[in-house]
Amino acid sequence: MTEGLKLGDRVFSSRLLLGTGKFSSTDAMIRAVRASGAELVTVALRRFHPGRPVDDVLAPLAAIEGLMLVPNTSGARDAGEAVRAAQLGRELCGSPFVKLEIHPNPHHLLPDPIETFEAAKILVGEGFLVLPYMPADPVLARRLEDIGCAAVMPLGAAIGSGQGLTTMSMLKLIIRDASVPVIVDAGLRSPSEAALTMEIGGDAVLVNSAIAAAENPELMASAFAAAVRAGRDAWKAGLMPQSDAAAATSPLTAFLAGGEAG
Amino acid sequence: MNLVVNGEAYRHNGQSTIADLLRECRAEAGRTAVMVNGDIVPKSTFDMVRLSDGDHVELIMIAAGG
Repeated sequence: MTEGLKLGDRVFSSRLLLGTGKFSSTDAMIRAVRASGAELVTVALRRFHPGRPVDDVLAPLAAIEGLMLVPNTSGARDAGEAVRAAQLGRELCGSPFVKLEIHPNPHHLLPDPIETFEAAKILVGEGFLVLPYMPADPVLARRLEDIGCAAVMPLGAAIGSGQGLTTMSMLKLIIRDASVPVIVDAGLRSPSEAALTMEIGGDAVLVNSAIAAAENPELMASAFAAAVRAGRDAWKAGLMPQSDAAAATSPLTAFLAGGEAG
Repeated sequence: MNLVVNGEAYRHNGQSTIADLLRECRAEAGRTAVMVNGDIVPKSTFDMVRLSDGDHVELIMIAAGG
């Protein structure tokens, strides 16, 4: 088994993926990306308006050696819009990857499973390596895998909510059955949740708000990196079995009670 | 010529190729994706594809996002 995270024909040594949104400044974002050791970050598309200032994130990200920029389809409300966004993203990033996300309701931003599936089918057919953001639904995960997605990205909780691994039981089912990487995306708040994701056999986590909205994003990025490594090592090491009863770790001799004081 | 750029009326004074429009708008061709009337225009053809009066043009760039 290769130790790297294999997505399509690419292998990444870092299992922490970063979103680049919501940082207080481009400089803070770049410092966090560097501290995270991430080799894959997501970016969004937006309109360029003549005469208005541009906050160029492409140049500083492109300056980080070995960093893969993956455009997302955020803002798409249906499969047609998502396919169009993916095509534009490919023009801009030159990356074969697309983070497919279709969340039509701004209140909860939960992914539309039907439109996501339809868009994934089209994009796989066009040669994209599709990373679909999806509800934590084991049936949908299998369907997306069957049509050729490079990974599945079930949510832990709503985007930006910081509610953690609310979908834990479903994530375990997805991980148990998947033969493509499972990247838990959205909802995480703390490095311990990232570690737990890896301990249950998740292949990677994608984090954005938890780092961007931290008081010190750079330090939080390195904390997440350490947690992902620790959780992955723990999964590889194999957790001990649980027991209802205690099991002593020291020999239970009775020498104290036997009066051999001193 | 009169264009609609990103949904807003835009008076284009330069020559008629997409490359000319990008120069006028100060949009870097290497960092801009272009759609004309709903069709994506490949970067390699920016200096060949000509715009016409009334065309709807979308200029798209990379931004921070999750």
